[in-house]
Amino acid sequence: MATPAALPPLPFNPSRVRSYVLRLPLFTRLVLLAILVFWLLEFQTMWSVVQWGSVIPEEAGFGTMYRLNTYPFIHLGFFHALLNVLALTPLLERFEAEHGTLTAVALFIGPLSTLPAGIYILVEKFVLHRNTAVVGSSIWVFLLLGSEAIRTFKSNPYFSLGTTKIPTWTSPLFACALVSILVPNTSFLGHLSAILVGYLLGLGFLKIFVPPEKVLRWIEGKLNLLGRLPHYVSVDQKTYGRYGVLPTTTTGGERGTPMSFLGSSQRLGPTTTAVIRKLRNNPHFLFVHLPHILSFICIVAGVVWLLLLPLNDYSRQTYISENALLPGQVHAYFSGSEQHIFRGYKKELEDVLAGQTEDGQERRNDEFTPAVSDKIQSILKATGLKFATQNYEYTSSGITHQGQNVYSIIQAPRGDATEAIVLVAAWKTVDDELNLNGVTLALTLARYFKRWSLWSKDIIFLFPPDSKAGTQAWIDAYHDMQPAFVQPLPLKSGALQGGLVIEYPFDHRFESLHILHDGVNGQLPNLDLFNTAVSITGGQMGIGTNLQEMWDHDDSYEMRLETIMRGMVKQGFGYATGPHSSFMPYHIDAITLQTKGDGWQDEMALGRTVESLCRSLNNLLEHLHQSFFFYLLMQTNRFVSIGTYLPSAMLIAGNFTIMAITLWLRTGYYPGNQQSPQASKSTKEQAATATDKRDDKQSPAQPDANNIIERQLALPLTLVVGLHLLGLIPLYIFNNISHKYYPTATYTSILANLILPLLLAAILSHGLNPKPQQYLLIKSFSLLILGLFLSTLATLNFSLSFMIGLLCAPLSFVNRINPHTNSCLLRYILATLGLALLNVLSPSVVLLAACKYFGVDVETVLTQAAFGWDVWGVWTQVVVWCVWWPAWVSGCALVGFSLFSS
Amino acid sequence: MGVDHRKAAVFGGALALRLLLLVLFPSLPDLLTGRVEVSTPVTSFKRLQEGLFLYTRNVSPYDGGVFHQAPLLLPLFSLLPNAQSFPLPTAVFYSLIDLVNANALATISDSGQAVSGRFYSALRKHIRWDGVSIAAWFLFNPFTVATCLGRSTGVFITTGILYSFSSAVTGNSLNAMLALGFASYLSIYPALLFIPLVLLCYDQRAQKAKAPSGVVSFALQHFAIFLICIAGLLGVSILLIGDFYTFISATYGFQLLVPDLTPNVGLWWYFFIEIFDSFREFFLGVFWLHLAAYMGGLTVRLRRQPLFVLTSLLGIFAIFKPYPSISDASLYFALLPLYRHLFPLMRYTFFAISALLYATLLGPAFYHLWIYAGSGNANFFYAITLVWSLGLSILLADTIFAALRDEWEHDNPELRGKEVRQV
Repeated sequence: MATPAALPPLPFNPSRVRSYVLRLPLFTRLVLLAILVFWLLEFQTMWSVVQWGSVIPEEAGFGTMYRLNTYPFIHLGFFHALLNVLALTPLLERFEAEHGTLTAVALFIGPLSTLPAGIYILVEKFVLHRNTAVVGSSIWVFLLLGSEAIRTFKSNPYFSLGTTKIPTWTSPLFACALVSILVPNTSFLGHLSAILVGYLLGLGFLKIFVPPEKVLRWIEGKLNLLGRLPHYVSVDQKTYGRYGVLPTTTTGGERGTPMSFLGSSQRLGPTTTAVIRKLRNNPHFLFVHLPHILSFICIVAGVVWLLLLPLNDYSRQTYISENALLPGQVHAYFSGSEQHIFRGYKKELEDVLAGQTEDGQERRNDEFTPAVSDKIQSILKATGLKFATQNYEYTSSGITHQGQNVYSIIQAPRGDATEAIVLVAAWKTVDDELNLNGVTLALTLARYFKRWSLWSKDIIFLFPPDSKAGTQAWIDAYHDMQPAFVQPLPLKSGALQGGLVIEYPFDHRFESLHILHDGVNGQLPNLDLFNTAVSITGGQMGIGTNLQEMWDHDDSYEMRLETIMRGMVKQGFGYATGPHSSFMPYHIDAITLQTKGDGWQDEMALGRTVESLCRSLNNLLEHLHQSFFFYLLMQTNRFVSIGTYLPSAMLIAGNFTIMAITLWLRTGYYPGNQQSPQASKSTKEQAATATDKRDDKQSPAQPDANNIIERQLALPLTLVVGLHLLGLIPLYIFNNISHKYYPTATYTSILANLILPLLLAAILSHGLNPKPQQYLLIKSFSLLILGLFLSTLATLNFSLSFMIGLLCAPLSFVNRINPHTNSCLLRYILATLGLALLNVLSPSVVLLAACKYFGVDVETVLTQAAFGWDVWGVWTQVVVWCVWWPAWVSGCALVGFSLFSS
Repeated sequence: MGVDHRKAAVFGGALALRLLLLVLFPSLPDLLTGRVEVSTPVTSFKRLQEGLFLYTRNVSPYDGGVFHQAPLLLPLFSLLPNAQSFPLPTAVFYSLIDLVNANALATISDSGQAVSGRFYSALRKHIRWDGVSIAAWFLFNPFTVATCLGRSTGVFITTGILYSFSSAVTGNSLNAMLALGFASYLSIYPALLFIPLVLLCYDQRAQKAKAPSGVVSFALQHFAIFLICIAGLLGVSILLIGDFYTFISATYGFQLLVPDLTPNVGLWWYFFIEIFDSFREFFLGVFWLHLAAYMGGLTVRLRRQPLFVLTSLLGIFAIFKPYPSISDASLYFALLPLYRHLFPLMRYTFFAISALLYATLLGPAFYHLWIYAGSGNANFFYAITLVWSLGLSILLADTIFAALRDEWEHDNPELRGKEVRQV
């Protein structure tokens, strides 16, 4: 009989496998667990487990003695761990069953790991003078195989192959050789030393290391290990006698069936593992505490996940995906004489402005008057370009925004007018400064580009009077989607491939370029466009770039995180950060280039940058699509892509869903102590009256055939759906009243938020007297809808979903306080505290607090928001009032119920 | 009379809701008509209008390859004023169709056929909703409302199917065959309902009075009626269109061979986009065979509850049809509450409904990412249609499980309420 045959044959019956696994003794389980834990630990990258725990001959010393014990638990990868576990489990299980848990602990923690490692180090370091590190539990596998081989040898010394008789004790050596040949990166020497120690063990030379039985018994008795530890194999229950007494043929005879030793652990739990049994016996934990723990873990994991993103291991260096772009590969010729043109145009525009001032205004008038418009048109006309104008007028919160866009088109000499690039120079920048240099530069570039014959795409120059409404009006009209008060465009070109906005609002030279890229509703331009801009400004022109107003970014963790956070706030609010934002909803990638600081770059450098960018865009063969559309930038050259960051918002949204599902289960399967005594009493009465009838199930709280309690859905469903519809009212109000009333409306809404949940709670608890189950169902449905919306939103606007998810996080944990488990006073105090806390997190209060924090006026913010809703099509308000607010009100109402329950 | 008041209130409310939505959001019908979830190539109102335009100008409506619906719809819709300039009459018409459907549902429910038939009477038959509640459930289901506002011509198929059911349960087997013939004329797949429907008619007849001669001859008679009905409708169509071959290939050929792979909520389009053309015929056969195969098995296994077989088949069609839309799902959801007594036995309702809700929200979001934002791709939307189908499948499997369990408890009264494990 060869050694492997001495092992239990692979049980193919699944139920046997299950029962085998369920009966594994304690130490084996612990070892497997440790292996698993170490394997999982290797996934993180902060701390190299292998480096920490492996046996490295060079590093042998007193400080690193722990390695002699840790190395068997650590593996180099999944398959390494899996194969070793598969080999080790039956061997170790058998050893433990034979010798008892305590002996196994003593031997395996002590001599059986240190001895082979010691031998290995001795040979490797002092004989071979090499330094190969070893890890893995295969040491134990071969050690146990060695000892088994000796045992087999005693009962069955040879197996014959033809005439040659091969002693059976050599079988581990064959196995070792085979493994070394077949499996790469295995330590032959390590295995050999393990087999050697195994032989010693099998021959009984290691008896001295075994603690005396008396001591073991004493420990076992004193600590009552048998009673405390599940799956513990006692000294008395081991299959064979003391170690060293090797199995004789008679004892071998007992082991008729290979698995018969399983009987030895009969005492260990009959079928299920202790944990599952515990959970089953403790439904209160399963249904009440566990979901809270899980939800909490989800939220914490979501936040931690986000905090990990700036680390190098989770973010990536940006790169250009679209080969056609070829950023910075062409020489930019915009220089020299063009500067004179620039000065000339600037003088002309300044004259117009000066003329406006002379007309009687006391301060410099930098409005975009018809005179300015005429001047721009005349310059464009003189250049020989087609041009047109478009009037628009928007009214939002009682304020009228009107103006006239001027634009012109350079028709591509080598194109067929099916594609175009847009260059935008707004008269007023995002910060409402006069963008004189920017406009002049655009005019100069228009004249300059006109003379080139290499354009394959039309180039449109757009001069809107402001940075808020003008571009939106133009782009809407370009796609024939304009509202009634916006004129259609008389002149059009092909599909827009990209947009660039130039801002140069001061007269001195600039130091660096600030790139704005956030679009409306958190949409972002293709990362390739941003990368091209960074690569051209930084690489070709030698101009520094910034993003998210991070002027001194030192690439530290904090700075990266702050950049991400700023980006997320902008994305979450979803407003237009510049004229480029209006392009995003039409799937046109656009960015704004802002000049910043006081340096030595002049308008010509900016002009060359724009020229080079236009050349790159001109190269495009198809719409930008290669690179990412969902990303978080932490530095101009580092980003995280959606696959990496999405789980964080999904985890937070998932916490609501987990809670909703468990609440649903709880209402059906576990009445628990949520059932008030009266309710259960009445149920009993009903049950008594209807014992022989089968319509027990009609009584609501009566378990039916499958122990499922019939749920009463009408009230919870109506309440939750009604609240979501009710959200339309504040949505309408906040988008349609005049801007003067916004502060009043905010304070009113805070007051309304305070009263409404209490009112709801009072009416419902006195009018309808809901059952405890229905409170849970209200929460379940409300959280289900919240989770649904947030996870959907996470795919569209990650940041908004994440922020609202965090603000709603307490809603997972608020409940109606059970009137029968808490005293009246305590209940009132708790409920009031809960309501106060929730009110701090109400949408209106959060809005006020955010305004205070950022130092802006509520009126300004809300006017801007209403403008966004009316003009840009921002959806943030819908999410706030129809997703967040209803969930919040139901949470508050749940707490409010505890004040009114009788 | 009290019930009638309730019924009137529900029907009036449903009508008011539809018209209110139309008045409040005038762009909603056009938006919904354009949604792939509502309109499929074979039920799209837009395509119907195109056909109508050609038809009123005396051109064959099938010219241009846009219109693929039954020709009898054309004279019907040419009576209505142009939906573009006068949307109200069309909306009222569709709302009325919904009410008619709801009325048929109420009839089916009031007959009690769902809980007790010729061979079988459910254990929990006291747990049920009355006809008005079921009609209300149907009328206020957002999917039904969306279908109605989206003016999908699928509602006529729904009418045919529901009327065939309601005629069958009230014992009017002739009308049942005619209605089923009408539904099969509009779209092929309702013909698969023939066998369980005939069984339902037969049971009904046998229960009512004298037993008819034999089930086979009964079925053959009704099959003849069914065929005559379809032949008559086809005859009228040929009178209208003239060119028989064009008409057949543009309507039934289109539905059978699935050449238009516009995305929809079903499973076919993505598969047939990805497949190599040489395997197309084979897999067409496999897919159709798969769809048809459920009929036999379910009919045999659930012989005692033919109406339940019909309901489950509608659920299967909603998943596995070549051009499914939410109107098919809404038809299945409309019939489900008839089996209110099975709800306590179902195990995964919450999960199935959550999956459906997730799909309902994520579907449009992913479609937006794919088509408009350009930041997603077809796999996004297809993944969601998989989730949608999964949700429906879970619901379907769960109801069938519940029905079988109910039958089993009926047969083994001593084991009621015990846990059983299938081995």
